[in-house]
Amino acid sequence: MPYPFDREYMQLALAAAMVVGAVAPMIGVFLVQRRQSLMGDGIGHLAFAGVAAGVLTGVWPVWTALVVAVVGAVLVEWLRSAGRASGDLALALFFYGGIAAGVVMVGLADSLDANLMSYLFGSILTVTPAEVSLVVALGAVVAGSVLVGAPALFAMAVDEEWSRVAGLPVAWLNSLLAALVAVTIVASMRVVGILLVAALMVLPVASAQQIGRSQRSIIAWAVAIGAFSAMVGLGSARIWGLAPGGTIVLVAVAVFAVVAATGIGAGARRGAFIPTRSHNH
Amino acid sequence: MPVSAPSIPLRLDSLSFAYGAEPVLAEVSLRVEPGEFVALVGPNGSGKSTLLRLAVGLLSPAAGDVQLFGGAPADFRDRGRLGYVPQRPALGEGITATVEDIAASGRLTRGAWFRRGRRNHPAVERALAEVGLSEMRGARLSELSGGQQQRAFIARALAGEPDLLVLDEPVAGVDAESQRQFRSSLTALVRDRGGSVLLVSHELGAVADDLDRVVVLKQTVRFDGTPDELRSQGVSLGVHAADLPLWLEQVK
Repeated sequence: MPYPFDREYMQLALAAAMVVGAVAPMIGVFLVQRRQSLMGDGIGHLAFAGVAAGVLTGVWPVWTALVVAVVGAVLVEWLRSAGRASGDLALALFFYGGIAAGVVMVGLADSLDANLMSYLFGSILTVTPAEVSLVVALGAVVAGSVLVGAPALFAMAVDEEWSRVAGLPVAWLNSLLAALVAVTIVASMRVVGILLVAALMVLPVASAQQIGRSQRSIIAWAVAIGAFSAMVGLGSARIWGLAPGGTIVLVAVAVFAVVAATGIGAGARRGAFIPTRSHNH
Repeated sequence: MPVSAPSIPLRLDSLSFAYGAEPVLAEVSLRVEPGEFVALVGPNGSGKSTLLRLAVGLLSPAAGDVQLFGGAPADFRDRGRLGYVPQRPALGEGITATVEDIAASGRLTRGAWFRRGRRNHPAVERALAEVGLSEMRGARLSELSGGQQQRAFIARALAGEPDLLVLDEPVAGVDAESQRQFRSSLTALVRDRGGSVLLVSHELGAVADDLDRVVVLKQTVRFDGTPDELRSQGVSLGVHAADLPLWLEQVK
């Protein structure tokens, strides 16, 4: 492959980044629609507790992060839907609980070292083939679930009550969505870092919503913009010696700024469709 | 194809419900027969929406019995037979969907989970046409007036090809064109397809001539009869009838 992807470690990094760049916004579409854009952040903090548990126990941190994040995400969803805590309060509980538990465990392990930092801030240039395989596998699980479940997840985002009457397994689908968010975060940890995962779930979606019209086109645009940001961000990081995780997210921010400023989205909003009847608001 | 049993679409027997210590419904009985168009009216706080939520299984009664097509709502599996139009949902800014997206999601009641074939399904096309939104299928929901949005949600319910359509205040504050389309879509369901409709509304003007029965609710059923019988009590259901709400307030 040509520069900047000529080295093997860059090709591994590119594979992982493209998968994460495509999959994170795919699940993020539903979070944005449900006004749960910050959920990725909250569950990211649970993943941090999971990483710390791995460091403390000597288990590969990705596995412990996966278990803690998925279980925690489903619990957050249960708290929210059972009405025991409002959405943002449930998140705050786990958000701070996760960070605190992580800090305590890191202290116990006496290991605030580069290994831990690689999960917090990402360390995509050091990913191993095994890690890339895991990212691809987790990404396939998320993408497959979204492709099958998108119509039902979309209906629930529009109107949860209607979905219940329509016979959709609402509680089960809510838990599935939470678990998929957790899986996506764990898959993305080494690419952009726990602190920036949520950005990759939300920013490409924000841009896609300016461009696309239908549900399907918004998912497609979000995936394309996410993968584009990952590739351009990673390449730029190599060329100018920047931190890859942060650069990927900055590219996603730049795409949004361009879309918003140039009014590419305005055409989608007004040009393609002109109602023939006057509106009565 | 399974033959639809000729069971009564909706039967409520001696239904009671309370929010905490506050009784909302007491001993309410109501039937909606096949092919019948029934309107449920009542003053604010009379329990209309609660009754509807009990009917579709979103709430469970404190006492009494609800039967949807001959079975309890909790055991009701044939969800396609029930169409539901809730009060217009407050759509978040983040909901970006077209009219067609909304209508097509109505096929989920028929178990159509996969995207393929859901969109161009004849029932979705028909539903869009019946609410007069075929030409606007590609419009974003956020571009529509309140009345047009509500028609999209009625199309969602119709796309499931229901035998019973339950609507909660579907025309509150919508424009005249939407009211007209609303009427034609309901009468198409009742007259052409033999479906049943239970409509909760303050504004019966649009459908006054199509109703088979009017039920007046104020914690209990205060009146259950034909529009003519209600008119004989000095109440008209016409477009500008101010006397229905007045009469409702006076019902003891």
